[in-house]
Amino acid sequence: MNPPGVGLEDVLRNGQGPAGDFIEASPLAVVDQVTKSYPRVTALSSVSLTIYPGERVALVGPSGGGKTTLLSLLSGVLQPDSGSLSVAGKTLEQKLSRRELSSMVGIIHQQLDLVPQLPVVHNVLAGRFGQWGMFRSFLSMVWPQDYTMAATALEQMGIEDKIRERTSHLSGGEQQRVAIARTIVQAPRLVLADEPVSSVDPGRAQEILQLLTSLTEGSGRALVASMHTPYLVQQFFSRAIGLRDGQVQFDIAATELTPAIQSDLYNLGHQDTDPPWH
Amino acid sequence: MRPARLFLESPHFLTLLLLLAVAWSVTNLDWGGPILHTNGWQSALTLLLAGFMPDLSPSFLLVCLRASWQTLAIALTSMTIAVLIGLPLGILASGGLATTDSRFQMPVKVGARFILGALRSIHELVWAVLLVAAIGLSPLAAIIALGLPYAGILGRIYAEFLEDVQGEPLDALRSSGASTVQTLMYGRLPMCLPDLISYTFYRFECSIRSAAILSFVGIRGIGYEIQISLGDLLFGQVWTLLFVLLALVALVDFWSGRVRHSLLTS
Repeated sequence: MNPPGVGLEDVLRNGQGPAGDFIEASPLAVVDQVTKSYPRVTALSSVSLTIYPGERVALVGPSGGGKTTLLSLLSGVLQPDSGSLSVAGKTLEQKLSRRELSSMVGIIHQQLDLVPQLPVVHNVLAGRFGQWGMFRSFLSMVWPQDYTMAATALEQMGIEDKIRERTSHLSGGEQQRVAIARTIVQAPRLVLADEPVSSVDPGRAQEILQLLTSLTEGSGRALVASMHTPYLVQQFFSRAIGLRDGQVQFDIAATELTPAIQSDLYNLGHQDTDPPWH
Repeated sequence: MRPARLFLESPHFLTLLLLLAVAWSVTNLDWGGPILHTNGWQSALTLLLAGFMPDLSPSFLLVCLRASWQTLAIALTSMTIAVLIGLPLGILASGGLATTDSRFQMPVKVGARFILGALRSIHELVWAVLLVAAIGLSPLAAIIALGLPYAGILGRIYAEFLEDVQGEPLDALRSSGASTVQTLMYGRLPMCLPDLISYTFYRFECSIRSAAILSFVGIRGIGYEIQISLGDLLFGQVWTLLFVLLALVALVDFWSGRVRHSLLTS
């Protein structure tokens, strides 16, 4: 499909192959000159990024470097001090309805963020809330709406047998799958994941990333996740963006993210004082 | 550096003040003669000893059974009313239904809180006296008299529980597009349900005691029987009735424990 000599990576990054061969030319998310400060620190200073459909972007860098702030801005939870963000052509600052916002971006947190007292099916169907009115939400309490959607998503996650179970009875790994199933049901264009595998063992990290990256397959979606482990980034992502002190230090193909580059990022400007983080 | 505190602000000063107030009130109370009247010690002893000889005759136990049924029925019905009134008001007072349109948020919240406060600030005995005067000596008077102040108490506490729910699950619901109402239904309510239910049971215990007390304005029940037995100086019967009351409260306590347990583990 691609002209020889031009990798999909280049096509996606540049939005355009040679000879006017547009593939996914319109960007999915545009971050333009975004600055965000907290009372004591500048979390992001004048960051610009363009993310194309199909991309799997890993944000790397030390804690406090701006990864979480960028994710919060992209999710529409935070507003930038200056600059603008847009997803699927719509600016995030605009007063978006929850229906619009939830079809644009969805975020998966590292912490277990399900309602533990509810059956699994309701936690998955929470992804549909943006599309439902009040009556449908009430009805769903006794008669789960869009049940097949929830069942299909859970089947994709391999835990369809848990659909009626109380969420608190599930293991940590199963709960993470429920959270991903919720995002499948929500079907946002841009899937955000805040440190999805930072507190899980390596085997499970592989599984989770497999499931997460499968969300971007085919359908004009993209994934942005904050990550710490270089080999997982190489294995599952297409692009790696290094953030430090609120600025983009590098923006490279994921395969180029060697442990050396990452530890450079962590030590930048602090060679003599700070030990590398892990 | 903390600024030096004034003596007036120190807790020791407050303690001293309170102790002085107690001493002053004891010395200034008009006891009307000695603390116990002439046969006081004798009567107290008789009353106390009767505790070891409660009246357990079948006919009186039947009276106890009927009285406790009446008290329990009043307590249960009034709690139902209290929950039906208190829960919606509590939800409104917590701001849990507030839409993004914040113009209505404050008035609704303040209004609901005011109604709850008004219900609460009048004691059930006062409600009872008013209602007995209005609709006569019927169980209905007792039920409403208990239901209204309890609705005020429940609503207030419900609002606090609902407001205190926080954390990742709520944020996640909001970010997946849930409205305030959806967040309430699928987040706040299920998350604090065990607390709500356990507090309601605690209040149910209280309402049994209150229902018994309401008999003193003439409504039938355990308190009514206590009053009659006391009037006849049948202390054995008084004790039997007190034990029955104790048993009722213990029963509800046991029940609430079971319900809470099953809620937390099911």
